[in-house]
Amino acid sequence: MIKIPPYLQKGDTIGLVCPAGFMPVEKVSECIRVLNEDWRFTTKVGTTIGQQYHYFSGTDEERIEDLQHMLDDENVKAILCARGGYGLSRIIDKIDFTNFKKNPKWIIGFSDVTILHSHIYRNYSISTLHASMANAFNDDEYKNEFVHSLQYALEGKKIKYQCTQHEFNKKGEGVGELVGGNLSLLAHLVGTDSDIKTKGRILFIEDIGEYLYNVDRMMYQLKRSGKLDKLAGLIVGGFTDMKDTERPFGQTVHEIIRDAVAEYDYPVCFDFPVSHEKENYALKIGVGYKLKVGKNKVVLEE
Amino acid sequence: MKRKNFIQSSIGVLTASYLPGLPEFSTGVDEVSFVSPSYLKQGDIIGITAPAGYITRDEIRSAVQKMESWGYKITIGDTIDKRDFTFGGTDEERTKDFQQMLDDPKIKAIMCARGGYGVVRIIDKLNWEKFKTKPKWIIGFSDVTVIHSHLNKNFGIASIHSKMCNSFPDDWSLAEPIQIETIESIQLALSGKKMIYTATPNPQNKLGTADGVLIGGNLKMLETLAGTKSDINTAGKILFVEDTGEYMYSIDRMFWNLKRTGKLSQLKGLIVGGFKVKVDPDSDDFGRTLQDVVLEKLKAYRYPVCFDFPVGHQKNNYALKCGVKHRLEIKSENVSLKEI
Repeated sequence: MIKIPPYLQKGDTIGLVCPAGFMPVEKVSECIRVLNEDWRFTTKVGTTIGQQYHYFSGTDEERIEDLQHMLDDENVKAILCARGGYGLSRIIDKIDFTNFKKNPKWIIGFSDVTILHSHIYRNYSISTLHASMANAFNDDEYKNEFVHSLQYALEGKKIKYQCTQHEFNKKGEGVGELVGGNLSLLAHLVGTDSDIKTKGRILFIEDIGEYLYNVDRMMYQLKRSGKLDKLAGLIVGGFTDMKDTERPFGQTVHEIIRDAVAEYDYPVCFDFPVSHEKENYALKIGVGYKLKVGKNKVVLEE
Repeated sequence: MKRKNFIQSSIGVLTASYLPGLPEFSTGVDEVSFVSPSYLKQGDIIGITAPAGYITRDEIRSAVQKMESWGYKITIGDTIDKRDFTFGGTDEERTKDFQQMLDDPKIKAIMCARGGYGVVRIIDKLNWEKFKTKPKWIIGFSDVTVIHSHLNKNFGIASIHSKMCNSFPDDWSLAEPIQIETIESIQLALSGKKMIYTATPNPQNKLGTADGVLIGGNLKMLETLAGTKSDINTAGKILFVEDTGEYMYSIDRMFWNLKRTGKLSQLKGLIVGGFKVKVDPDSDDFGRTLQDVVLEKLKAYRYPVCFDFPVGHQKNNYALKCGVKHRLEIKSENVSLKEI
């Protein structure tokens, strides 16, 4: 059974950390302000916010210590990863989840944070939040419905997400626990202790800046490692800034994914608002959802 | 000739007694006995096919002539000159051509004309039954790593990791000695010569000696095969890896993948070939060299490790026999890999 961390009350503390790439303080300050003033939570700013060690927000040890501290601090009710980048692969096996298992709390983020989602769901069956990070709050964007969906999720409000029809959608209804994240990271985790479980589940995938042939190769990896054949449904999010080689691949990213799952009967929807762009709804990993891909619209509800 | 522009490695491929196609057996930890296909004799036929990217007949002309000059006959597959966008024909066409070469008893070796992308799209459509009964050499690298790894995992049949048709120069008079030598090494491997390679010592090498079956290939390919039925089995073996055009963070992540999928813990030795690192202006300050990235994953292990080995997407890319037992000797003054 999946464990749901307690939802947040006004005044509860959200810890902010950078477990991967470096992020300057000024890029996080609006997020902190909104969490405190608008959403009425309290924030605890980790030592890795604004800290830099080359590409990273600190040495491996510093990043581990900060995340570990937030996991172990009983007053911290949720941990918001301020940004992704690259770095969780380096520290995931050194994080101690003992206290976290006893007292689960919401872990929030996407992109590189897919590693935490997949690892925690696989090993501890605790729900996490795939959602916007600090940068999404900047430039007044904290007012948009996607960032707001994070607030609602943290407060325990169930929201029904809807999106429009896509010509490649495969109609149908699927029920199952929701899993997923960044395709590159899901592929990278195959065969490791953080490998995603997909059987009987609704899988969502998104990616940015990949070559088309590489998306094709990753879909083949998921398929060949048995991750695609027994899904309850597939949600294809944003695949933005796709790149092509000098010799064109000859298919769009939608066609690549459509073809990879053509032989399966489960519902599939495209262009769902989960992505590296603004369109990025908060999704609870491990929580049961119903995906309804209809003629005119797509609905995803808890 | 600007030799110093290359990774500083040198090699001597010494001739030894001719091995008339005797299968070689060696037991790995995975209990697979490796079999070497029959080595080639004068007049034997090599088939050329394009299982991944497309290539024209013009582009393979030099390779055809060279391999004919070695005394082999050449059969050119239907996929040569075929094109389906980036591929050498549709999946069906590439599968059919490769299958025909696998099944034709007259063809003693299959040279993949070039890499690119595409083998993973056809690997599960190929029928290996005839090939398993009567193995033949499959030759190539880069995307062809899928085949090397698949043979390693499933059949324990040796194959040749080497340059492909698109690396044979059009004008041999302009070719550098290293190009000629590496291409000639394909013939030495095919004809059954025992291979010997040397590499320039790197101060960060981990010294030692190891005997084991040689396996490996392109690192990105090995990562994307994880969890599939072509996933490489590294236990008890000497692993070589190379890559090109990847960011340092991505190379780091791929080595974490090897480590976290258990592929580094039971090696006999590790050979790091060429790595052409792509520079990302936004995040090029990764703070670690290739040597740092590799060695930090290996702190708990004692096996020998060498860098700058002449294998990779580069001119000094020698033919290596995957699935054949080798001895890796890494000393401070020299590095050698010998087929045993």
